[in-house]
Amino acid sequence: MFTNGKIFKTSLAVAAATMVFASSAQAQAKPESFKIGGVISLSGPYGLLGEDMRRGVQIAIEERQGKVLGVPIEVVWEDDETKPQPAVQKATKLISEGSHMIFGALSSASTLAVMNITKQRKIPHLVTISADDKITVPGGSRYTFRTSNTLDMENRMALSYMQDKKLKKIYAVTADYQATRDGWEWFKKNATSSGAQIAGEDYTPLGNRDFSSVVDKIAKSDADGVFLALTGSDVVTFLKQAGQVNLSKSKVIFGPVVADETMAAGVGPSALGVNSGMRYHYTINNAANRKFVEAYQKKFNVFPPMAAGEAYDGMSWWLDTVEKTGVWDKEKWVDAFANSVRENSVEGKKTMRACDRQALQVGYWGEVVQGTPPAPALTMKITQVFPENKLFTDCKQ
Amino acid sequence: MSTIVIGLSLGMLLFLLAAGLTLIFGMLGVINFAHGAIYMLGAYVSFEVGKQTGSFLMGVIAAITITGVLGAAVEKLSLRPLYERPHFYQLILTFGLILVLSDVVRYIWGSGYQEVSIPPLWNGTVDMLGSTIPVYRLFVIGLGVVVSTLLYLFLEKSTFGMLVRAASSDAEMVRILGLPVGTIRMAVFSIGCALSGLAGAIAAPLFPVELGMATNTIIDCFIVVILGGLGNIRGAIAASLMVGMVRALGYVYMPSWVDILTFSLLILTLLTRPQGLFFRAARSA
Repeated sequence: MFTNGKIFKTSLAVAAATMVFASSAQAQAKPESFKIGGVISLSGPYGLLGEDMRRGVQIAIEERQGKVLGVPIEVVWEDDETKPQPAVQKATKLISEGSHMIFGALSSASTLAVMNITKQRKIPHLVTISADDKITVPGGSRYTFRTSNTLDMENRMALSYMQDKKLKKIYAVTADYQATRDGWEWFKKNATSSGAQIAGEDYTPLGNRDFSSVVDKIAKSDADGVFLALTGSDVVTFLKQAGQVNLSKSKVIFGPVVADETMAAGVGPSALGVNSGMRYHYTINNAANRKFVEAYQKKFNVFPPMAAGEAYDGMSWWLDTVEKTGVWDKEKWVDAFANSVRENSVEGKKTMRACDRQALQVGYWGEVVQGTPPAPALTMKITQVFPENKLFTDCKQ
Repeated sequence: MSTIVIGLSLGMLLFLLAAGLTLIFGMLGVINFAHGAIYMLGAYVSFEVGKQTGSFLMGVIAAITITGVLGAAVEKLSLRPLYERPHFYQLILTFGLILVLSDVVRYIWGSGYQEVSIPPLWNGTVDMLGSTIPVYRLFVIGLGVVVSTLLYLFLEKSTFGMLVRAASSDAEMVRILGLPVGTIRMAVFSIGCALSGLAGAIAAPLFPVELGMATNTIIDCFIVVILGGLGNIRGAIAASLMVGMVRALGYVYMPSWVDILTFSLLILTLLTRPQGLFFRAARSA
């Protein structure tokens, strides 16, 4: 007969043995491949940037011979059409197909929508371009990490630029979109408290097809600066149509993220002199970036654009971290990434902040200038590098 | 005043975009979903030929020619067997054409933005009542007037236009009279596609030339076609100007409501006059 004490001890031993067996099975359960579910925009206003992101990820994977934790990396890409609803559907599909992580999305609205799914399903989620401040907040999702810029840090750079240029009257054109509206409200509050006036503000629909009326209003105003919170095809259309009435001759055009080589190529010479925050640039001079630029040029025969650089940077950091854990355990990957430091990022040192899952980093500001070969005809020139402590505030719970 | 000029230019550009769709729907009864993709192809062809030759005009001519020939080929090879079948066959065909053309464009030109500059002749501005108006916008207004007049004369006053209308209302009767209905239909589809190509070439200096331009445009075109009365050219002109004005005024007074205003106009029309604001009932004997 077993006594109660013996029964208890035996049960404890069986339970302990089961747990050990289960955890070792989990660690040893090595799938055939490491599956990445990529939700990006391949159509819609941000469609072009999605292709760049895909290329950046491709280089990050090829750099490690296509493997992590000893198995091949498999990426399945889905197009969210730059809309949150398809983004959620595609992310759900990818997770149900066994993705070990979700990469994306591109627009902040899509990323915020995808975050809810990855949080519920406890799937690591890597964001390398969406800038909405709400993506990385203290007490937010344990599973979502952003390795790229926040809109807040870009607005801080834009504000500093406005102050340096001594601009007194600002006209704002903002995509009618929560993240850009919030960003403009922050900028307006801080610009007016530093003495600037607001000459006008217009919220245009995302994917707007004609800005001529808005450009006409700005031209007639007494603004000396035009703050653009637009991106993708919206900013290209705006700058083209502003160029047709020579708007930049009388007003300084700038914005948190309104220019890179891709956009400048679409605008043409009217893009010259536009100032913008930059998330990544191929001219950043460090060994990691030189290596990435060389690999990218060899494969695609062009310099890597912003979205490609950010995607490469985030994905290679993530895969290196997963490799270091040595186990097939999503929770351990998340814990490791939350406390990781990327000394050799292509943009300089990046530190993942565990409290909000946001990478602390320096910020780049630049201007569209005439390029000389092999640079594109219109290229960005980094004019200022903002240190990390000027761009991030304390992480308050 | 500047708002009126901008509204006119938006409206006329919209008319150029929608004219091909209206023509094809009005005369053939085919809803050409690939209209936007052909417009995009026109923009890319104009970009490429303009870059190679240094001539904007050559780019425009090449865009019209290539999209016109493409239209003729599509009609003859794939659309013609489908006229007698239910409409959804045509929808699937033209939808498939969007995918094919998008991939062809992506393969040839990549997915980046391409830039077409305004030709030097129209690359200036004029001051009109306190506003600076790009000369190119005035050119677009003028071209819209010319195209709409030519289209009207072609359909209403020419012998070929009469045949097109006859084939549209009773193809069998025209065929019995010994006239080549197939060739007439091919010509109409080809002209409709050439108009889309022309619109793409004319729009290229105003907007980014990119893959997304196909989908951005098609919605506006359908709004114009529905407001104007399906297939009604004069209705399409009036509807284009109406939408252009609504958008121009909307951008001035309530930019974030522009799409809502445009779609409200569409919904209101569908509720009150589903046959279109400018629909004319066919005369009967």
